[in-house]
Amino acid sequence: MRNRKNLNIRIVRELVISEFKLRYQNSYLGYFWTLIKPMLLFGVIYLVFSVFMKSPVENYPVYLLLGILIWNFFAEATLIGMNTFMTKRDLVTKIYFSRATLIVASAFSSLITLLLNLVIFSVFMAISGIMPGAEALIFVIYLVELFLVATGVTFILAAMYIHFHDLQHIWEILLQIGFWLTPIIYPVTIVPSEYHRYIFLNPLARIIEYSRDIFIRHHVPSLYLNLILALMTIVIFCAGYAIFKTQEHKIAEKI
Amino acid sequence: MISASKDNMEGHNLAISAADISKAFIVPHERRDTLKEGFINLFRKRTYEHFRALDCVSFQLRPGEFLGIVGRNGSGKSTLLKILAGIYRADSGKLDIRGEIAPFLELGVGFQQELSARENIYLNGTLLGLTRKEIKARFDSIVDFAGVRNFIDLKIKNFSSGMRARLAFAIAKEADADIYLFDEIMAVGDEDFQQKCLNVFREWKDNGKTVVFVSHTPNLVEEFCNRAILLDGGKVVFDGTPGETITEYHRLIK
Repeated sequence: MRNRKNLNIRIVRELVISEFKLRYQNSYLGYFWTLIKPMLLFGVIYLVFSVFMKSPVENYPVYLLLGILIWNFFAEATLIGMNTFMTKRDLVTKIYFSRATLIVASAFSSLITLLLNLVIFSVFMAISGIMPGAEALIFVIYLVELFLVATGVTFILAAMYIHFHDLQHIWEILLQIGFWLTPIIYPVTIVPSEYHRYIFLNPLARIIEYSRDIFIRHHVPSLYLNLILALMTIVIFCAGYAIFKTQEHKIAEKI
Repeated sequence: MISASKDNMEGHNLAISAADISKAFIVPHERRDTLKEGFINLFRKRTYEHFRALDCVSFQLRPGEFLGIVGRNGSGKSTLLKILAGIYRADSGKLDIRGEIAPFLELGVGFQQELSARENIYLNGTLLGLTRKEIKARFDSIVDFAGVRNFIDLKIKNFSSGMRARLAFAIAKEADADIYLFDEIMAVGDEDFQQKCLNVFREWKDNGKTVVFVSHTPNLVEEFCNRAILLDGGKVVFDGTPGETITEYHRLIK
């Protein structure tokens, strides 16, 4: 009798391990390539907004880099994740196993990249002379929430992608719009306060702002705000999974 | 033990019982699988064709039977295997499977070219349902059966197609299923490999394992199977001994 216990967890683990090896072990530049994109973006924006436009934000490099790294994770995870049934087409059409494992594994692979990038971030913090306090530990919760939001959104996108193969282009455009509508390069204070409620409908805006609170401003967001973010995360993840489940059995036929 | 005796009492001593399995694919006359095309053609009426890949397919299989499925291209052979494996969902019909069914149709699916044979054994073995511990315990027998001991840390991309097939089969035979599904498994591999497969199949037969086997090669069906069905246009048009079924198949393609 085959051991079915934790089969999905074991599959996710093996998929993540092999993805990691493929990405980093076989090319010395593997990590460099995943780092160069957010760092270039960071460099250009820093030049324009800090050197040319004299941004009033304190500790702007750290502030900006944290926002870019979090956003970059979300963008990469969703874009790569929604495409995963295409890249793993062989597996999907010739072996039966839970298709959700492919989405979750893809999200974990992106998370590993984020964790490596956060090492660079801590170097930046040290250079800027910011010492994180005990409150920085809350960041672990934000990382989990970020992961669940990205995975939930990927579930929805992947379910739609099997029907609309140009969804990737549309999502890329939406991500670009999202980049500017999220307080990544500008402080949320420059937005008129009557728009704040709309800005913070976006869980990423909350994750980025709250992370800056704990790292840079040494201030813990209120329990109320944290509960709202947690609720948003749960709703997005569960809705995404539920939508995905309705389409899961069609994936092998449609891909 | 209890469930086994209950099965016998109810007369369900079958490995696979398929009744009236149907599967249609909706094929639009023009493809519209992008949003752009969807918008542009929003008000134009879309015409579809229902392609009946399987049309009320019924068959029963007892444990230990080796069933060959023959038929022309597009007769529904692979669709049937995919439904048995769970990859496709049938539109209608009743499918009862007793025992563990192997979740794969082809060997070496998901082999990563850039990873070593060792790493691929763990990845592939996990996809086939084995735990890391089980793979570790069977690692030596996999490597020896495949005869790749000296190349175990070589990337799979450097393997010959024969070596790859042997390795894939060596992992698959450890998958601990009661029912195996194979789609054109012998297409690759030399005579030595085919002989090895034959030996494994004989062992399975003795142990009461069930195999469903799709092949275009009549010889292999005659050699491996004790029964064969002929599919045409999604229907079972003949069910009998491999010899009879192949004669029927040859009559059909003439």
